Amino acid sequence: MTEEIIIAIPNKGRLKEPVVKLLEGAGIKRVSDERVYLSDTSDACIKVLSVRASDIPVYVYNGIADIGITGRDIIAETNLDLYELADLGFGSCTMVVAVKKEKPYSTASDIRPGSKVATEFPNITKRFFNDLGIQVEVIALRGAMEIAPRLGLAEAIVDLKSTGTTLEKNGLKQIGEVMKSSARLICNKVSYKTKYGAVEDLIRRLKEANV
Amino acid sequence: MRSWGYKKWKEGIYFTRFQTPRGFRDLVPNDARKYAFVEGRLRDIYAKWGYREVRTSMMDYYDVIRGGTGDWFADSLFKFQDSDGKLMSLRGEVTTQIARMLATNLKERRLFYISNCLKYIEDKALIGRESWQAGAELIGGDAVASDAESIALLVGALDALDLKGARVDVGSVQVFRILMSRFGIKDYERITRSVISKSADDLKNATDDKDAIDAFSYVMRKRGGPEVLDGLSEIAGGCMEEQRDYFRTLFRLLEAYGCADRVCVDLGTIREMKYYNGIVFEGYLSGFGMPVGGGGRYDCMMREFGLDGMTATGFALSVDLCVKALEARGFEFGERKVPLKVAYNQGKMGEAIRLAVSMRADGKNCTVDAARCESDMEVYGDSSGLPLEKGV
Repeated sequence: MTEEIIIAIPNKGRLKEPVVKLLEGAGIKRVSDERVYLSDTSDACIKVLSVRASDIPVYVYNGIADIGITGRDIIAETNLDLYELADLGFGSCTMVVAVKKEKPYSTASDIRPGSKVATEFPNITKRFFNDLGIQVEVIALRGAMEIAPRLGLAEAIVDLKSTGTTLEKNGLKQIGEVMKSSARLICNKVSYKTKYGAVEDLIRRLKEANV
Repeated sequence: MRSWGYKKWKEGIYFTRFQTPRGFRDLVPNDARKYAFVEGRLRDIYAKWGYREVRTSMMDYYDVIRGGTGDWFADSLFKFQDSDGKLMSLRGEVTTQIARMLATNLKERRLFYISNCLKYIEDKALIGRESWQAGAELIGGDAVASDAESIALLVGALDALDLKGARVDVGSVQVFRILMSRFGIKDYERITRSVISKSADDLKNATDDKDAIDAFSYVMRKRGGPEVLDGLSEIAGGCMEEQRDYFRTLFRLLEAYGCADRVCVDLGTIREMKYYNGIVFEGYLSGFGMPVGGGGRYDCMMREFGLDGMTATGFALSVDLCVKALEARGFEFGERKVPLKVAYNQGKMGEAIRLAVSMRADGKNCTVDAARCESDMEVYGDSSGLPLEKGV
């Protein structure tokens, strides 16, 4: 294994800790401190790029990083042409549709056409409601959208849920599931071809460390 | 301090007013020089292989183009209405136009083009809504021989650009379809998506058929020479003989072209255009994140244009990505020819022009400009980067 591989990992958020642990388990330990975004590791052939989880598909798609680890939700939202080589299993959560508790809705199909839906995932949300045949108006927010229905900004939200406590506390109920998400190992299409041996080797190591 | 002219802003002349529309850009002389260089080299190599240049029309009837490309691509075309109410579209890609030309009045076997193509939706490759494509199409003839020529020409074109280490991956839409019917798969889209993204986990959720999972996992992960088809033949049980022979012949021909070692079978290579029906291939470079070009066999589209039984194969290279890849490698795009400068003093303009005319006749590039003042002459010449020939 002689080729250099750059692997992009989240620098904050729910996936950060498990990813760092996974890499350490595979014998890849970063040598510089956290604020160095591109860092050498204990493995001479591997560098680690720490960026926002939501930017990782863009880095990998453009070939800046060869490999990346980020959530399935983010990969689906950016919808770029990438290889998704493995489901790492951890960081799992569900993307759900939720409305105010008092609403008489029981499934996502009950949402009325023309409703406003607040979400951090506008592309996934549009696709989801298009598939249901319901035209909705998507409002892109950057977090804390659980408050949107209560304040009348939107009738429904599409958001990630891991335990459901936040929905509960803001007087919302889940009426549908959009997708399940967990950490995925993604790879640049050309890197996979030109660094086939090194990439396959790294995937094997990560899979072994992941059990 | 405002940086871009507060006074102009007051006059209603503000910076953003003069920006190009989203996804479009001007090529300034330094960019245009690089594009001309790449296009020149490609024009030479295509001609060397006996291809003749065509310039297709900028506009077409939308219905005709949609018939070839399918709705999905046609949706992204710029559309206009003609004075008689017919819907027209701007050129979004050239292959369909070439099929249209062949259907009407053209009898040629080898054609190439270098054209700008427009798409309403921004390309994911971040090269905007206008892109420059240089493609070659090979019409008729023996299928496998044409496919081999097309792949070898793609390798040859990338070599001609000094893009060292270029490689090509070959897949097959045909192999994929045979597998789909062999395993009786209904959920075409889900399987295709999982194979395109090489996601073994998605594949497991897409079907319960263990043999299908084995076969498609193999398709996803296996890379190599024509022996990849031997392996698949074993897994899929007998329905691959024809394809196996096809790939063997293909590689034997590529061997003769001297590029077999740079071509790799990756049956997970699937291209977006719906008109492909045989092999598909993509050219890529190490250290450059996306394929720089690709193509495949598209006999089906010829049928769409009433050309039953006619075969065709071809590819397009992205000039934009080739320029980017060369830039990334620090390539020098030929030397910039700096013209000589003829500077004249007051009253000597006529003499200066006569001198310039004779210099150009001698094959020298030159410009004629006033020297701002006598003492300034030399400085002026130097500071604008032009060698000072002589003052008049």
